[in-house]
Amino acid sequence: MGYHHSRVVEIRLEAGGQWEALIACPVEAIPHVGQYLLASNMDDPDEVIGVPLFLAEKSRHGFWSAPPIPAAWRPGMKLDLLGPLGHGFRVPREVQRLGLIALGESISRLMPLVDPIGKSHGGVTLFTDLTLPRMPALLEAYPLASLQDALDWPDFLAIDLPLQRYTELRNTFGLSGGNGLICPAQVLVTTPMPCAGLGKCGACAVASRRGWKLACEDGPVFDLHDLIW
Amino acid sequence: MSKHDLTINPPLMNAAGSLGFSPDSYNSVDWSRLGAFVTNPVSLAPRTPAHGERFIEFPGGFLLHTGYPNPGITQVIRHYARHWSRSPIPVIVHLLAENPDELAKMTHWLEQVQGVSGLEVGVDSDASFDMVTALTQGAYGEYPVIIRLPMERAIELAPAAIKAEAAAISLAPPRGIYPSGDGELVRGRLYGPAILPMALRTVHELIKLCIPTIGAGGVYEQANANVMIAMGALAVQLDSALWRGGEYRFVK
Repeated sequence: MGYHHSRVVEIRLEAGGQWEALIACPVEAIPHVGQYLLASNMDDPDEVIGVPLFLAEKSRHGFWSAPPIPAAWRPGMKLDLLGPLGHGFRVPREVQRLGLIALGESISRLMPLVDPIGKSHGGVTLFTDLTLPRMPALLEAYPLASLQDALDWPDFLAIDLPLQRYTELRNTFGLSGGNGLICPAQVLVTTPMPCAGLGKCGACAVASRRGWKLACEDGPVFDLHDLIW
Repeated sequence: MSKHDLTINPPLMNAAGSLGFSPDSYNSVDWSRLGAFVTNPVSLAPRTPAHGERFIEFPGGFLLHTGYPNPGITQVIRHYARHWSRSPIPVIVHLLAENPDELAKMTHWLEQVQGVSGLEVGVDSDASFDMVTALTQGAYGEYPVIIRLPMERAIELAPAAIKAEAAAISLAPPRGIYPSGDGELVRGRLYGPAILPMALRTVHELIKLCIPTIGAGGVYEQANANVMIAMGALAVQLDSALWRGGEYRFVK
């Protein structure tokens, strides 16, 4: 964990129509996909709590941070960054068919997983019900309803899941009773993380087979099979 | 100086629930900036996290509804006692108890543990005068006891704690209700700069009553803490300001 100074350089609309911010920062501050930084705008007297920033895309002098970003952020604004924090996605090198499932408000947090698979001549399929005005290259996209019939295709699943939709996961996969998912899968659990691991406050607690885990320090990416869902 | 005297130097502490169960060197916090460390709330039996929405922002602050999850006192002692004994600053263990007997039991166990310098006892928002007296007496033993009173009722209840020989009063976050994203009303603790005026009033009134007081609530800048100290507070507890950073980014 480190402490870095940074600056918002630019703000743009991402594929789903939400705002992303280009953050200029030292290379050691750039989080791995699924990790996060806690950003604070020290010049804003009204800011009460830091903002978690996730990687959407690496850039020459920093990275594009996935939405949501605060509406008050503007280019030129200075940010203090704490991190990178938490555990990100670990997609095995041998994965050739990657399934991405976006159940949150954006696909951006999953997008950095696409290029490495493309470079190894694998395929990536996105399952989401989000409207995508700009379709990313190297990607096929399907609605969530088609996921149940496609589960034998991917050899790895990466999921972006808001904590409040946790209980919908079984329905999303079309699994009933005690049937489990055969495919290896990791899930980025998105939830408020007000203490960012400093306090073990419990706001981001997730139920796992080995007791309660905290998304802020044990996650926010978990092996799906370790979680109770 | 008796074993029940309380000196916090520098006069800054973290509030219970803000920095975990021990001053962990992994967190890279500069502990020299705090005069004492207060653990997360610890109960006799394990407590699980609250269900439903746990964090809701509102202008000037946020509501937190966590249920004070913790693994229970035996596990806390097992995992953290050695860290307490190596702590660079005094460790105050915060206790949550359903009744004075539970509190007495936990107090007795902690008196066998090295590295503990004091106890802080959390009091429910609907506690009676008699319950505050009983809880204070239940925790009385080898350590100075701080009674953390609900901010909304601290002025009313503080005399009960002091009469029962509490070393000081601290202030719990006030409680409120706010609608969640799906319209459900969520009850919880309130944090943020919006709480400061209420906290300052409470500290001011307690000091007027000659109650030894540790101020807390909405302190996001040293200037706010200085106002409390100037009023006569023994020390000031920081909560969510430690998470946000700035002046109170104690992370190295």
